[in-house]
Amino acid sequence: MASTETLKRPASGFRISRKMLPYVLSLPALLVCIGILIPFFTAVVYSFQRYRLSQPWARQFNWGENYINFFTDPAFWNTLKVSLLYAGLTVTLELLLGLGIALLLQRRSTVNNFISIMLLLPLMIAPALAALMWKLMTNPSFGILSYLASLIGLHDFRWASSPDTALLTVVLVDIWVYTPFIMILLLAGLRSLPTQPFEAAALDGVPRSFVFFRITLPMLTPYILTATLFRLLDSIQQFDIIYAMTQGGPGNTLTVFQVEAYLNFFQSTNVGRSAALLIILWAITYTLSNVFIKNWLRLRERARGEA
Amino acid sequence: METMSPLERILRGLALTLVVVFFMFPIFWIFLMSFQTNETILAIPPSIVFSPTLSNYAALITGKLQTAAGTLDIAFMSNLGNSIFLSVASVAVSLVLGVPAAYAFARHKFKGSEDIAFTLLSFRFAPPLLVLLPLTQYFQWLGLSNTYVGLIWVYQLICLPLILWIVRGYFEDISADVEYAYRIAGHSWLATFRKIALPLAGPGIAAAGLLAFIFAWNNFVFALVLASADKQPVTVGALAFVTSSGIQYGQIAAAIVLSVTPTLALALYAQRYLVEGLSLGAVKG
Amino acid sequence: MTTLQLKNIVKRYKSQTVLDDLTLDVADGERLVLFGPSGAGKTVLLRLVAGVIEPDAGRVLIGGEDMTDVDAEHRGVGMAFQNFALFPHMSAFDNIASPLTATKSSKEKIAAGVQKVAKLLKIDHVLTHHPKALSNGQKQRTALARALVGSPPLLLLDDPLRNVDAKLRFEMRLELPRLLAAQGATVVYVTQDYKEAMALGDRIAVMASGSIRQIGTPQEIYNAPADIEIARLFGDPTINLLDVTPQRGGEGVFVELSNVRVRLADYGADVVGSPCVLGLRPEAISFVDAAAPGAIPVTVEAETPLNEKTVTLALTARGREILVSRPAGTPGPTAGPAHIAVNGTQAFLFDKTSGALLPRADLAAKRNGEAA
Repeated sequence: MASTETLKRPASGFRISRKMLPYVLSLPALLVCIGILIPFFTAVVYSFQRYRLSQPWARQFNWGENYINFFTDPAFWNTLKVSLLYAGLTVTLELLLGLGIALLLQRRSTVNNFISIMLLLPLMIAPALAALMWKLMTNPSFGILSYLASLIGLHDFRWASSPDTALLTVVLVDIWVYTPFIMILLLAGLRSLPTQPFEAAALDGVPRSFVFFRITLPMLTPYILTATLFRLLDSIQQFDIIYAMTQGGPGNTLTVFQVEAYLNFFQSTNVGRSAALLIILWAITYTLSNVFIKNWLRLRERARGEA
Repeated sequence: METMSPLERILRGLALTLVVVFFMFPIFWIFLMSFQTNETILAIPPSIVFSPTLSNYAALITGKLQTAAGTLDIAFMSNLGNSIFLSVASVAVSLVLGVPAAYAFARHKFKGSEDIAFTLLSFRFAPPLLVLLPLTQYFQWLGLSNTYVGLIWVYQLICLPLILWIVRGYFEDISADVEYAYRIAGHSWLATFRKIALPLAGPGIAAAGLLAFIFAWNNFVFALVLASADKQPVTVGALAFVTSSGIQYGQIAAAIVLSVTPTLALALYAQRYLVEGLSLGAVKG
Repeated sequence: MTTLQLKNIVKRYKSQTVLDDLTLDVADGERLVLFGPSGAGKTVLLRLVAGVIEPDAGRVLIGGEDMTDVDAEHRGVGMAFQNFALFPHMSAFDNIASPLTATKSSKEKIAAGVQKVAKLLKIDHVLTHHPKALSNGQKQRTALARALVGSPPLLLLDDPLRNVDAKLRFEMRLELPRLLAAQGATVVYVTQDYKEAMALGDRIAVMASGSIRQIGTPQEIYNAPADIEIARLFGDPTINLLDVTPQRGGEGVFVELSNVRVRLADYGADVVGSPCVLGLRPEAISFVDAAAPGAIPVTVEAETPLNEKTVTLALTARGREILVSRPAGTPGPTAGPAHIAVNGTQAFLFDKTSGALLPRADLAAKRNGEAA
């Protein structure tokens, strides 16, 4: 029988580590947090400065001039318009398409499961590389899509190199890459719904449109909200696809927030304006992400509850 | 479902076929293209019947490209090497930093723990350039410009929130009593963490690591802003490729195929965990 | 063997106080049962003693030593959990061996120790199995073996029979006292089952909403429950509780049930006239002939034969429900009109407003004597 004397008594130093343990464990994560927050605040400072890399001597605080100038700056309004249009179009189309595909694949079967895994592949391709793939396919001299377009009478269809169709082309690439994201989330949602309401409705002979709008959609809403907000947050700051496809062109057709900020920084070397653009984008995403995180947490708790 | 009419069955089949064609065709086409010479690629009308060649892959792998103007050096293999190194190292660092933190957040609700966790999460949704542009200057001061260390540190921006929130969920799924029982049996917290928490959360940690690898691999903007040619991963390198003179289209296609194969293979391997990873642990597949 | 002392323990979760200034002494080698409804704080208390959660205030002393700030692994206690808390990735052997591996014993010693306790608990044939492959009963025995294997001087058992089926619970209730006696440890045993408490406890501490309401031997608590709630929790079938107002007659204090006087010999004049609740254990009531003294007419509604006793539900003339218990096999009415008699010496009186047990005359007199 073990007696208390044989027990190792802790040294007094051990006491501190017991209380400090969680802090010690999360210290690295905390340091990364701080390391990211420092450049963030630097960016805030930049956004209130007149700061051009080409004229470092003229750097000074101009207290909000960068922001005030936006009001009369058509390039800024173009950026805002294109960003919202891009985000609105991609998310709406991806949601409709993703929901449709999820409904088609809802029933668990070998074929459906296989297809749903296959459909995930575009999502696993780097968006920049996906853009490159579509660039090859829409090349005017050998692109298969250009050829197909010519078959239906669209000769010399310019895809991303024409200002008229550039937006639609990048939206198409975005849809190709990210529809699977919405599809897979909604599919998981659909398959986690309780079956009783649907069985009861089937027994009572309730019309299927009624079941869809009054049972399926309301029960799926948390998933739809989370998936949509998630996509919206990413889409409003899309950079990879647009930059890889057209670098914001032709002209300023596709100068969405991050592309415009990138070009401002590296081409016009206007650091102040670039930072101000990004701060405005951050304000938009921050607001959205607060709504998102609330929904996301609710879903997360539900998922944990089922585990 | 059981009462599907034949017409509906046909329509559903048609719709699914269209969906599969739309999402699979580009992969299929680029794959074919990677085995073609410029002559067959440029042929009109395009044909899927051609005699396949491995010359594109050979050129990429040897790094030497014979053109009419002479021999051209291709850095693609070094891009591939950078991708592998950056992704593996980033995930390793992320696991070392993130798993203990995830454990602390799951087990010890201490003051400020949720704040740190949510701040990290919010990084996932902040515009990356907002942090990257000032970082270019900090990196110059710190001597981290165009270094692997600097890049790996920035990659934590995407890897760490993912690891933290997914692994935290797995730790939360372990009954606290099981860990208590091991402590009471006479083992230190460290032994309990190593012998109980880590093995039980093991599959989840592995899955989170794989997903973080995929996201790190697919990242474009970090290296675009912070790396020069010799440190660039495939995402940036392949883009630079397009503009380089004398390059053949089949070689671009082959480079794309080589660049996406690792992530596609990993995705297929870890597909059971993809839903959870993509939603940062909010939805279980 | 060792002692356990808890001094003024307070534990809060957010704004809720789970343990409220709780003080408890467990003697060397004693088997103390913590009995109470769920949410009373029993499990929290046990974890506090084990050292896996910390009190907000108060001290925990084991063997006279202040262990409040000592980590769980250095307290030298054994604990079995209600949900077993087996390590799912380890075999039953490794589960049981875990307290021994912590002491860095030799492989042979560990194997011998595990074998011995496994044999004692009749699970030596499933030691290679993982918990997933064990039946519920085997899981429960594995958890118990893990708690016992290190021969800890203090053993904490958190409702170990809660999650096993009725047959196994019955077997273990017989087996456990012997096992624990052989172990020679000081035991704190948590349960919600009053029969388990009666069978296993040297003393029972009745807990409700974060504090100990009453502590005493099983007999003391059964025969003198401190308040109505304890009386109701303790006993099966449940105690009969009837609103009454004691009166004084020629031969002493009495209450009227259906106009029949029931003498309460143990109570003094201090209870007369105040509204009370009369507590009658079902076995304090018996069926009698109509002619017997103090016979109260009732109507028998239903009869439930249990293995060792028969419980009858009867209605008084005023429609109050009465449970009557008699040993199985003894004759009694099964339906229709009958008469009962009440053993007044086994009746309790509780204050109607506070619910507290009213002191009996002899005890009251004793206390007055002490005070004087």
